[in-house]
Amino acid sequence: MRDRPGEAHPLTEAQSGLWYAQRLDPANPLFNTGQYIELRGPLDRPAFEAALAQAVAESDALALRMVDDPSGPLQVVDPAQRPMLEIVDVSGAADPFAAAEADIARDMATPLDPTREKLAAERLFVLGPERFIWQQRIHHLAIDGYGMILLTQRVADLYNARQRGGEAGAPLPGIATAFAEDAAYRASDKRVKDGDYWRELFADKPEVASLAAGNPVSAPSFHRRAVEIDADAFARLRAIGERTNIPWPDVVTALAAAYVRRHAGTPEVILGVPFMARLGSAAARVPAMLMNVLPLRVDAQEDDIDQYLGSVARSLTRARRHGRYRSEQLRRDLKLIGGQRRLHGPLINLLPFDETPRFEGLESRLEVLSTGPVEDITFTFRLHGADGLRLEVDANPDLYPREVVEANALRLKHFIEAASAAEGSLAEVPTATPEEAHRHIFALNATDHPVPDTTLAALIEARMRATPHAPALRFAGATMDYATLDARSRALAERLREGSKNSSKKRSSDSSNATGSIVAVALPRSFELVVALVAILRAGLAYLPLDLAQPDARIDRILASAGPRLVLARAEDAARFAGKAEMLTPGDWPTSPSGASLAGTPLAGPAPEDAAYVIYTSGSTGEPKGVVIEHRAIVNRLEWMRVHYGFSPADRILQKTPATFDVSVWEFFLPLLTGACLVVAPPQAHRDPVALARIIREEAITSAHFVPSMLAAFLAEPSVQGLSLKRVFCSGEELPADLRDRFHRTLTAELHNLYGPTEAAVDVSYWPAGEGDRSLPVPIGFPVWNTRLYVLDERNRPQPPGVPGHLHLGGVQLARGYLGRADLTAERFLPDPFRPGERIYATGDLALWRPDGAVVFLGRSDHQVKIRGLRIELGEIEAAVMSSGLVRQAGILAREDGGAKRIVAYVVPEPGADLSALKAHVAARVPDYMVPAAFVMLDALPVNANGKLDRAALPAPDFSGTGARVPQTPTETRLAALFAEQLGLASPVFAEDDFFSLGGDSLAAVALLLRVREEWGRDPGLGALFAQPTLAGFARLIDAEEGAGDAGLGPLVTLAEGDVSRPPLFVIHPAGGISWCYGRLARALDPRRTVHGLQAPALAPNIATPESLEALAADYVERIRAVRPHGPYHLLGWSVGGIIAQAMAVRLRELGAAVGVVAMLDSYPADVWRGEPDPGEDGALKALLAIAGHDPDRLPALALNRASVLAFLRASDSPLGRLPAAVLDGVVRVVAGNNRLVRGHFHRRFDGTLTHFRAALDHQGRDLTPEQWRPYAGRVEVVEVPALHAYLTGPEATALIAPVVSGLLDDADRKEDATCATAV
Amino acid sequence: MAIEPGDIKRIVAPAAAVTREKMRADIARMLHEDPEEIGGEDSLIDLGLDSMRAMNLVLAWSEGGLDLEFSEFAEKPTLDGWWELVSAKQSARGG
Repeated sequence: MRDRPGEAHPLTEAQSGLWYAQRLDPANPLFNTGQYIELRGPLDRPAFEAALAQAVAESDALALRMVDDPSGPLQVVDPAQRPMLEIVDVSGAADPFAAAEADIARDMATPLDPTREKLAAERLFVLGPERFIWQQRIHHLAIDGYGMILLTQRVADLYNARQRGGEAGAPLPGIATAFAEDAAYRASDKRVKDGDYWRELFADKPEVASLAAGNPVSAPSFHRRAVEIDADAFARLRAIGERTNIPWPDVVTALAAAYVRRHAGTPEVILGVPFMARLGSAAARVPAMLMNVLPLRVDAQEDDIDQYLGSVARSLTRARRHGRYRSEQLRRDLKLIGGQRRLHGPLINLLPFDETPRFEGLESRLEVLSTGPVEDITFTFRLHGADGLRLEVDANPDLYPREVVEANALRLKHFIEAASAAEGSLAEVPTATPEEAHRHIFALNATDHPVPDTTLAALIEARMRATPHAPALRFAGATMDYATLDARSRALAERLREGSKNSSKKRSSDSSNATGSIVAVALPRSFELVVALVAILRAGLAYLPLDLAQPDARIDRILASAGPRLVLARAEDAARFAGKAEMLTPGDWPTSPSGASLAGTPLAGPAPEDAAYVIYTSGSTGEPKGVVIEHRAIVNRLEWMRVHYGFSPADRILQKTPATFDVSVWEFFLPLLTGACLVVAPPQAHRDPVALARIIREEAITSAHFVPSMLAAFLAEPSVQGLSLKRVFCSGEELPADLRDRFHRTLTAELHNLYGPTEAAVDVSYWPAGEGDRSLPVPIGFPVWNTRLYVLDERNRPQPPGVPGHLHLGGVQLARGYLGRADLTAERFLPDPFRPGERIYATGDLALWRPDGAVVFLGRSDHQVKIRGLRIELGEIEAAVMSSGLVRQAGILAREDGGAKRIVAYVVPEPGADLSALKAHVAARVPDYMVPAAFVMLDALPVNANGKLDRAALPAPDFSGTGARVPQTPTETRLAALFAEQLGLASPVFAEDDFFSLGGDSLAAVALLLRVREEWGRDPGLGALFAQPTLAGFARLIDAEEGAGDAGLGPLVTLAEGDVSRPPLFVIHPAGGISWCYGRLARALDPRRTVHGLQAPALAPNIATPESLEALAADYVERIRAVRPHGPYHLLGWSVGGIIAQAMAVRLRELGAAVGVVAMLDSYPADVWRGEPDPGEDGALKALLAIAGHDPDRLPALALNRASVLAFLRASDSPLGRLPAAVLDGVVRVVAGNNRLVRGHFHRRFDGTLTHFRAALDHQGRDLTPEQWRPYAGRVEVVEVPALHAYLTGPEATALIAPVVSGLLDDADRKEDATCATAV
Repeated sequence: MAIEPGDIKRIVAPAAAVTREKMRADIARMLHEDPEEIGGEDSLIDLGLDSMRAMNLVLAWSEGGLDLEFSEFAEKPTLDGWWELVSAKQSARGG
């Protein structure tokens, strides 16, 4: 079928997606696909030119001209567009090949406008008499990868036929064949069935994961790294194919999918598989854009390789059977529209035939330059020659640095090669390359360092003897020297060794258990506390810190579990321990040692393998677990710290951490084994930034520790400014990068980030977070001495760099285990898979290796939630909720109700707190996808027996309405189903339910209207839905067969309906003439009242703009008096709307009518605009974007012309994008008209109050203030809103503005009533 | 002109001629069906053949040195249609 020249065709389904993508991103040259073929040998140039000319003449696609018609894009076969062969002679260049390559790269990097320029170029570079490069560059709208092969092959056939004197094969069919096929498929039952298949396959809305987080929007270039798959491995892959009867390309696809899944770390991944869509098609041989991308779901069954390959191959076969259904359409069906919502992750592209054309008498080499935009990462496997398989990794540079692309190419090559030799199971195939695994597991963990095999007690005793007169402790202004500490701790140690007077308990001989050798300590910070700890260690016993602030129940459980021989506590706390354990109060402690010790007899202390302390942590089960740490472990930790940071006797170390938190261990003992001074902060001071700042200054502290959240509070204290220390250590929580930077701006000190669980003797890794550190996030760094950090996947395989995994620790610092809990110990302390005979501890933390080997902490593995493939940090949301100060307690979780996974915040409000601003507060602090969909207020959070949040007892959030009438009419019933479908509601929808209060937003509204149009063949329009958002109301509009999308554009629309006894609020449109933007505000007024929106009559094509703003205001006044004959009239307007509101108020007063509230959202008088140049068409387009809720200044990449703005609005789901072209013309016209009216307007004075909501974040460097209204109003009241002008009707600003407006309206109504009463 | 590894294989080990019955058996094996189930005019797509399997078959039949074009096979995926293409190429080569 040849196309009739000049006939215009709509774009095929395959082209449409590309068209809009290109219009959105007109400067992106990656829509050019291209390749070159290097030819060596005696090229018959006339024959080549003739062959090319004929192939090009047969290929209509190369002659396409795109027309941007108001009805939608069209295409015409225009012979004038056909490319002519361009000859470029570079043979004179110093390096002809380099010259040609450079020229080709430039050409490929030049974006083109498909409505103006030729879609294709054919160029022949002459490098020398027997060396040529034939470059082809064709816009993706005209061709796909297979089309390019057809065209290239055709040229070769025609050339060879001439050379051999034979016949070339049949000519390429014309493009009309493809158009006809496309149209036939669009109208076919097959398409309906295909669509059903895909929608069902994706009905559970699976999450899409990839190798990198971030927004997959194609950059204008991509990184590429190509590697060769080993020939033996390729032979093995084909053998697998023969054995399993699965085509080898499907085998490779399945293996690459397994590779991606391991990197994503999810149970399932969804890959994109390019599909040529040509088998069985009349258009099979048409060079054109037909290809589709099929989403392939692959899950994690690695144990039986044949079973795995079989299951992927089956999925592929089914997908191809339904493969003509466009993936763009499926995205629309599934409502996966908008930035982060995608259908599939990485692409896996198999090209199982050698694409290199053979030219008679010539050698040829093919280089494929670009096959279209690269949104994420694409793995292409290309056959070349007969036995070579090449892997090309193309990736979006915005998401993948070049090194990561290179690493993935090598790693996937290794993976495929190893998998080809795997026997039976894929699980044995490592993810990391052997080099990566060796570096991570062994090289980075080569931390062997000699440490004396001794005890904490011995090290401290040595120091006490070395410097008896040096100050050891400072507390509340008093000093204790080392000699005194020695004497007092020795005396107490001797007493402790006697044991409890009545106790029959003996020191346990059970090496896995420390019971019986434990002494509990329940003392506040004081000299006695330190004396007690040192004494216990010297006595060869283990100390167990108890926190008196904890409830009795918890202390009792710990005492019962640990069975201490004694409790050291103050007399006033005796009641807490009565009958539970024997006590020894400081008053009863001996203060001077026995005569024997004075003679220098050493105390028989502990051995290195004895327990030094037992610290209880709350496990994930809620039951406290006693971690037993031996001397050898903690000595390693302290000696590392002393040497690594160069501590000396001159240091003064602040002790402020409660003894129950293991950070205190180094605070207590590092100074004592260094001979430095330990400065004990007063009890409670650790929470008081002022007290801490004072003590640090007064005691000349050199080293201190802060948990990051406390550090944040500390830095906020003014007296901390300019403080100077030697070093500050952080641990216990993630150290945020901005806190690091704030630290260095606020005070002078080294900052060190340490990480470690109690189970591995305080800290196992370190990172210098100095002033020059720009890391984001701040790593936890590298292992300390004699310590190993492993990041492993769920099967204990080492992860490659950059891939999240489970953090495991090994080495000398590991705890002995959990006291008396061999079961829990066995669960978390596992055999080291890389060092036979040694143990590792599973931290339960997620981490990754940076390329430099530093470890980055990613959060708790049991606190990880993913929604739409995005990692959600519930802790971060919780922190944002708590920072509002409105809430006493919060529990955040992701729950699935009605198939949709949503984040829900359960909160216990502070007494009397108004939670209306909570959502906006959270929205300002976390990414939009982390803002909870619902906030549920509770009196208390339900807890289980262990005191942890009882998730099962939390109520499902109530997204359903409060209505009661069951849908009755057929329209209501069908519409109720659509409401439920769009909003994922499980509960019934009632007639009075409001679409928006059920959780609908503008996106859901647009989707709803699409479905309404499908069901009824018409929809009353978005404006109508705003006006009638209830099920019953909207069903009535559908039944009334009102308009086709233009309702809601009339001069007066109802945005909300409410109490008829309250005077309505009239809101006046901004520059664009449309007042839907106030929909959110209208619905947020409390109590509800009717809100009418005034819209520009000139939106309709035949209505002229009035000659002045006064005339416009007078017209609007007439319109509002028609619906409401008497005052008071409440007016509100944004931008230009505010100017009109002021003029209307003047006019109403002139007519003797009562005026209530006159509010303006960031409007400024005409005087300030008069001198400015008319913004013209650009201004109108910017206004359109602003109406759609975008700040045009934040979209610098968007070309300001009608086509790309419209494409943007459509692609970004803006309701505006759905308006008929005529209406959009109207908007542009109205914007221009309003600019003119404002410039020609001179304000008269309104004698009432103007309330001005000022966009406080905007207008920097511009002289725009509400004061400029003073000459034109009786009073001006200003409300500052922390927002930009463009976002004043957005959710955050509305949350702040609506309560104020509600209050103003109430006050005004009351005043009016009072006036009336007086008048009567 | 360079000799590609694939060409070498063709030269040293010319494969037996492709017959209609061999094609039928190969297709059946790909579809996990009995050869009798494959009728000459049956649409192979309806029988479950997908493009990757079709391409694999075309590549396998080309191993004997036949210059087969997948794109031509894609236009009419039936046993008869494909046999027509293969037999035409074989007779052209034989002649």
